[in-house]
Amino acid sequence: MSASPDAPGGPQQAAGPPATGSDDPTVTAIAGRGLSKAFGGVQALRAASFAACAGEVHALVGENGAGKSTFIKLLGGRLQPDSGTILLEDRRIRLSGPADATSRGIGTVFQELTLLPWMSVAENLLIGREPRSSLGLIRRSNLASEAEELLARFGITHIDPRALAAEVSLAERQIIEIARVIIRAPRILLLDEPTSSLVEREVAWLFSRIRELRAAGTAIVFTSHRWNEITSIADRITIFRNGAEVGTFTGIDETEAITLMTGRRVDALYPALPPAPAAASRPPALDLAHAILPGSRPAGSAERAPAELGFSLAPGEILGIGGLAGEGHRELFLGLFGAPPLRRAVIRIDGRPARIAHPSDAIHAGLGIALVPEDRKSEGLLLPLPVRDNLTLPILSRLSFGGVIRSGAERRMTRDIIGSLGIRTPSAAQPVGALSGGNQQKVLVGRWLLAQSRILLLYDVTRGVDVATKHELYELMTRLAGEGRAVLFYSSDTEELAHLCHRVLVLRRGRIAASLAPPALTAEAIVAAAMRETLAV
Amino acid sequence: MTRLLSPGALRVLAAYGAAVLLFIIGALVHPGFASFSSVTSILLIASFVGLVAAGQCFVILIGGIDLSVPWVLNAAAILVATASLGENARAPYALALTLGMGAGAGVVNGACIVWLGVPAVVMTLAMSGIVEGLALGLSGGMTCAACASYAPPIVRDAVHGVFLGVPAALWLWLVVILVVSFVLSFTRFGRATYAIGNNPRAAFLAGVNVNLTTVALYALSGFFSALAGILLVGFGGQASLGMGAPYLFQSIAAVVIGGVSILGGRGNYLGAAAGSVSLVALVSVLLALNMPDYGRSIIYGLVILALLLLYGREEREQ
Amino acid sequence: MNSVPRETPALLPSGVPEDGPAPRRRPIAVHLIGQNIGLILALAILGLSLIIFVGLFAFEQHRLPGNFEVTSSVNNTMPLALAACGQTLVVLTRGIDLSVGGVVDLTNALAAIFLAGSVLHMIIVSVLILLVGAAAGLVNGLVVGLGRLQPIVVTLATLSIFQGLAIRALPQPGGVVPTGYTAVLVNPNVPTALLFVVLAVLGWMALRRSRLGVAIFAVGNDEQSAVALGIRAVRTKIIAYTLAGTLYAAAGLFLAANATSGDATTGDVYTLTSIVAVVLGGVSLFGGRGSAVGAICGAFITTMIVNILFYAHINPLYQSFYEGLFLVIAVVLGSAVGSFARRGR
Repeated sequence: MSASPDAPGGPQQAAGPPATGSDDPTVTAIAGRGLSKAFGGVQALRAASFAACAGEVHALVGENGAGKSTFIKLLGGRLQPDSGTILLEDRRIRLSGPADATSRGIGTVFQELTLLPWMSVAENLLIGREPRSSLGLIRRSNLASEAEELLARFGITHIDPRALAAEVSLAERQIIEIARVIIRAPRILLLDEPTSSLVEREVAWLFSRIRELRAAGTAIVFTSHRWNEITSIADRITIFRNGAEVGTFTGIDETEAITLMTGRRVDALYPALPPAPAAASRPPALDLAHAILPGSRPAGSAERAPAELGFSLAPGEILGIGGLAGEGHRELFLGLFGAPPLRRAVIRIDGRPARIAHPSDAIHAGLGIALVPEDRKSEGLLLPLPVRDNLTLPILSRLSFGGVIRSGAERRMTRDIIGSLGIRTPSAAQPVGALSGGNQQKVLVGRWLLAQSRILLLYDVTRGVDVATKHELYELMTRLAGEGRAVLFYSSDTEELAHLCHRVLVLRRGRIAASLAPPALTAEAIVAAAMRETLAV
Repeated sequence: MTRLLSPGALRVLAAYGAAVLLFIIGALVHPGFASFSSVTSILLIASFVGLVAAGQCFVILIGGIDLSVPWVLNAAAILVATASLGENARAPYALALTLGMGAGAGVVNGACIVWLGVPAVVMTLAMSGIVEGLALGLSGGMTCAACASYAPPIVRDAVHGVFLGVPAALWLWLVVILVVSFVLSFTRFGRATYAIGNNPRAAFLAGVNVNLTTVALYALSGFFSALAGILLVGFGGQASLGMGAPYLFQSIAAVVIGGVSILGGRGNYLGAAAGSVSLVALVSVLLALNMPDYGRSIIYGLVILALLLLYGREEREQ
Repeated sequence: MNSVPRETPALLPSGVPEDGPAPRRRPIAVHLIGQNIGLILALAILGLSLIIFVGLFAFEQHRLPGNFEVTSSVNNTMPLALAACGQTLVVLTRGIDLSVGGVVDLTNALAAIFLAGSVLHMIIVSVLILLVGAAAGLVNGLVVGLGRLQPIVVTLATLSIFQGLAIRALPQPGGVVPTGYTAVLVNPNVPTALLFVVLAVLGWMALRRSRLGVAIFAVGNDEQSAVALGIRAVRTKIIAYTLAGTLYAAAGLFLAANATSGDATTGDVYTLTSIVAVVLGGVSLFGGRGSAVGAICGAFITTMIVNILFYAHINPLYQSFYEGLFLVIAVVLGSAVGSFARRGR
């Protein structure tokens, strides 16, 4: 019963649980009716209702802020609803906490991983159900072997149960989190963005587990921003917008879904690309040479020296960087920004050699480099501080005289940028943490526009971002490139790279595995280049 | 003013309110408590706590702490007396040396915290021992020839001298309050401090030099501890061993009840100054009530707990 | 779970070809060392300091340290070892306890006043004193856990309160601890106090393997995650502080037994020295990592350093200097070795 994107006649609405006259007798496993929840002044859910049946995979989709995560947290006992009821197999229940939900057979994998970093994978997996001796004490010596066995039953053999959770990769942590929940054979499985850190092979593994659980009668609810995943596994799709459900469908087209999610038509997902800059008319905005990224050490003894990496970026060009996570992308972006710098790399900005030892070097002195990191909350913005402080922090030296900030100039600049970007905030003194996600992202971009950055390093800025904001970001990117700024863009979404970039360099093991330009620039080509072994130089 | 956000302003006002309340209670209990001379002498004592609290405020704002305060203060007191031998002619040299020692100890603290990764609690605790050992050793346990020196007259006048009816040290503290508050609220350095206290990684990625700012903040803490030591020896005449001990926990308490979050990123020195006054006023009220010292200890702790519970709580994270 | 077929194809990490071999695992020993590096270093430093001490002593006295030296070293360390165990419990939950000195003062004073009479009476008094410590810890735990205040400022305030209570109980140094009591706890002739150390270690090992122990570590690792996993963080913290208070009270009893009389202020120093012992023992001040066995080692290291400085004829006025220097060097070396041990992926 997968949702089919090509179903004739447009979206096939399913009103509530499938009619009892269908093949499988289905029981509503879990439901929320009229759930409302507010945080501070923000109404996250407005009397939203949703039901999932046993033996189905039900996807929850919607923009960030539509309420999907909040709904899952309510069903998983992590939060208490302000009003409304939760029903477990048609019985009203009140969940006192996550442990209560677990004991009732509701297993939840929240978006924020709950692994304990300094405890081992085995300890994390078996927490609360450790093997015990006759005295009631935990058999620590058996933890690893029991964990190993449990993981193997689900086909996971490459994660060392003795390793600390902090030592394994993000993808492995997400897998362990999922494993911890499905080990307990929940009757209801709630997954909030379970695939955000996983690559295709791992996603396939997860979907196999989901199919097994579905066959065993588990009700599975999951949220995702990746449409191809949703269509491949979901039996039904419920769309949320603005804190309430909009409709439930067994088959719907992506564009229709986006329209329902955003409440407006989105004709094209990607804006038109500005023309590629003329070849070598000016010195490149950024030229990198002799960079050595981690992972570039040769695997065998065929090559003796680690490969050096280099490329040029022209003004007005959007250059994409593709490849699997962990192949040196982060170090490249941080290195170009001086956080920390790339050793032995030679960087030229506008043809002149530049020494970038610290982010302040990159930001100032006519270099004008900006870095927008992937996690705006932990790396980009200072949430309790006012919008004004967040906007002007990098350029305080230009706004100060003798160390003292010229508040008049600062006020003017912030007022202007808030206006031109349309940042919705009651005042510039508002703590930036109180703004909505989209507006926060605008503050982050605004900061670099104020700094008059000419080279923008955008690192996975659309990850976990809703469709409408993604669209705004795409438009902003292409507009900035059209104005002559150079953009270096890394994304884990290969479709984005294929549609938004003039050129894409695929990294593999710290080296450039391929350089793709239209017409060879497609998502499939990027993936192929990322997986293929590096051609011998 | 970004630093006087409503809850923040409320905390500072509450701290001042507590101080005023204590003076009123004192006046009710002991007539003459609220007389001009009595108030100024209490404020004078509070200024010593306040100066140490200034340094402590700087490092607590970035989520750090300075446990080396007691012995930097003590060493400064000993150093200024022995280096000046009680003479004004040698005073500039002695003052420069002493303040430099304080700042230097702070620089070492900051450098080890930043570049060697030693936690602030451990490093400043170790520095306290190091300075203690050096102070005791080099002065022979305060038995050296120069150790019986007094502070130079200029320092003693700076403390006891009166200007417009108010002790000169209070004017000095007022200047410190104005300068420190100005620096924290209106300068790049102040913005950098709050940024680091809120999120060091984001501050770094916005171009703030987290390492140098941190070292500078610890240097300031050492500087203010040394300054307090100088004024204290000007006040008391001679240095003594252990004179710095009470100022460690008092400075931390003053900063916290003044609304500065111990985790950093929030609060200002105006509050810490109010906290200093409240604490000293509290002790004075208890003395005026003829409370025995065990009672003073107990009530001191209870009042701090009460003030913390009233408005020092960290918000629960959602 | 039995419905999951055994033929589930293996999930390989990204980057590994489908038919490739499974990635090599690090040997178990590497994990054990890497994850316990703090304790291992503490033991190593303790061993090293013992060797240096024995060497200096032999050079100076022309004989090996005998029963007297061992016994007095052990007896002098007992209070700190116990206080450090208590501090460990608090630090593991990502807190810090500045009230240690106050509780030790109070229980030391009470012991000197009330320990007298028959064996039964002294046992009852000891138990009551331990309960006093537990009550003190409970106060800390309740305010930290329910009041949502930071531990450093709460225990700063309660330190004053407990110190005040101690002075109220024993305004002047005095009181007597019966020699029989001393003989049981800190026998001056034989290092039987080591039995209590063994008891503490066994207690720690049991705690580590209990639900409470897992909860303490989880709360210190990441309190939010622990709550999401169903652990009752507030209750865990309250219990941790209460147990810590009991251990501080035990330290007070040992201090009284060792000094054979009471003084309401000799316990003050244990606040900062317990933190030093905990740090030397490899316990992370950020919570979630460490062992009380390490803290006990840290306490003994502290005593050994004092002994070494004495027998090396270091000017006692400079003692603090060397102690402070040693602390910094030990921490820097410890973290350098630790990060080296954890690297190599």
